[in-house]
Amino acid sequence: MIRAISFPFRKGRSFLALSVMALLSVAASAHAAETIVLTGSSTVAPLMAEIGKRFEETHPNLRIDVQTGGSSRGVRDARAGLADIGMVSRPLTDSERDLTAFTLAYDGVAFILHKSNPVKTLTRQQIIDIFTGKVRDWSEIGPGRGTIVVENKAEGRSTLELFLTHFDIKSSDVKAAVVVGDNQEAIKVIAGNPLAIGYVSIGSAVTEAGLGVPIKPLPMDGVEATIDAVKQKRFPLVRELNLVVRKQPEGVVKEFIAYAQSDQVTDLVKDLYYVPVGH
Amino acid sequence: MIERSRFRFDGHLLLVWAAPLTITAIFVWIVGGVLLHGLDQLSWSYLVEAPRRAGRQGGIGPILVSTLLIVSVCLAVAIPLALGAALLLAEFVPRRSTGARIVRLSLDVLAGVPSIVFGLFGSAFFCSLLGLRFSILSGGLTLACMILPVLIRTIEQSLRGVPNAYRMGAAALGLTRTRAIVTVLLPVAAPGVLVGVLLGVGRAVAETAALIFTSGYVDRMPSSVLDSGRALSVHIFDLSLNVPGGDAAAYRASIVLLLLLMLINGGMLCIHSLLKRVMGISAQI
Repeated sequence: MIRAISFPFRKGRSFLALSVMALLSVAASAHAAETIVLTGSSTVAPLMAEIGKRFEETHPNLRIDVQTGGSSRGVRDARAGLADIGMVSRPLTDSERDLTAFTLAYDGVAFILHKSNPVKTLTRQQIIDIFTGKVRDWSEIGPGRGTIVVENKAEGRSTLELFLTHFDIKSSDVKAAVVVGDNQEAIKVIAGNPLAIGYVSIGSAVTEAGLGVPIKPLPMDGVEATIDAVKQKRFPLVRELNLVVRKQPEGVVKEFIAYAQSDQVTDLVKDLYYVPVGH
Repeated sequence: MIERSRFRFDGHLLLVWAAPLTITAIFVWIVGGVLLHGLDQLSWSYLVEAPRRAGRQGGIGPILVSTLLIVSVCLAVAIPLALGAALLLAEFVPRRSTGARIVRLSLDVLAGVPSIVFGLFGSAFFCSLLGLRFSILSGGLTLACMILPVLIRTIEQSLRGVPNAYRMGAAALGLTRTRAIVTVLLPVAAPGVLVGVLLGVGRAVAETAALIFTSGYVDRMPSSVLDSGRALSVHIFDLSLNVPGGDAAAYRASIVLLLLLMLINGGMLCIHSLLKRVMGISAQI
């Protein structure tokens, strides 16, 4: 009777001991390599993950772990020391001056029309009226005529977020005829419809227009939509993508931040349609 | 009069058929849409290669491994705990006792809690307090917490479904309670337990919100359960929201997730019917 009861217990205990030992040995091996942890903005995360992978290739004993959670988490974790580097997709506010920011790239939004559309520029109010359905025909605006085809982005896109914040309109107020997912799709729609208006990340708008796609990026508040205007922070609809640290970075963290800002990763930045800080 | 009743009969039939047809149509629409958008580039190399260009190229090898590890950790922890709790509720505590009622009520409340809340709990408890940080272990444990309520309640129900004659028979043969549970009750309740596990796995594999803050975002091949590992659902979420041009890749990964779920469900249903046949025979003897 006693044997019958104690037997499974003893078996259980040895199993527990074995699994604890296995876990500990695994834990020991997992911490052999040095790890840089980044947390924060989900807009910056895919970019940093790619930059991290490329950096790891030349630093075999280093691991770069990128985690998401939003810009405010990036600030909080960098401050608390939970992360070596925080990712923040906006400039630091006055209350965050205890952190140091390193701008990695810019994420900008430009409005695009078909190349044959005679409209040269739109004011802030005109854009709001068009996207909220108050103005429905191009003849109400100026040169040209025909029903305006409004193209909006799908929920959750960073360009949608930037657009809504900048014009201070609610997502539910936008009266769109077409809803698209990404920049390529948006550009395809505009290029195929002379009456359409939409917005895409400025990097892809300028690149595609340069490649001869029949689209026309509109100036905003009198500033031409160019990469230079974005870099000089003159273009209104732009946000910074920043890496933030609590104290001046040292050693490999410093090296990694410099690498992320360097020309060696320009192709990765452009591949996600952001504007690099370098040339 | 006859005409009218026949007409009404047809109307009812139409209504009865409309429900399953609508559900089937929605299913076909979703699966068809996903297949249409992502099937063209699906290949074996996609399943084993590492992702490149933020997941837009390459494969999902490390992500599949992470997903399976997370689900394994989750089940390894959740099944024994759920069995224990369900046995206590079904066999050892009087059904209407205050303690059992409180436990049952709290389980039902927990079953309705949104997964993001479990994610935040897991992030605070497993990742920070227990120091497991972003890891497959944290993710699996969080998922275990999430599926425990459903698991316990289904296992409890299936244990309750075992006829009392079995318990009395076991007692008449002089079996101890432990022995009766191990050799009689659990085998008979096994098909029901499996259904509970099936429901739990379904929830676990498809979970995104609870995993983003626990198992994390790293898409490297995990070397242990203490590494951060991206789950398939997190990968799909990231591709469709944060990666420009990631839609096609998101559809491709969705197909794999659908296949994985169907594979798990199919496998479990096979075991289920097998168990039922075996248990049915033993019950007759």
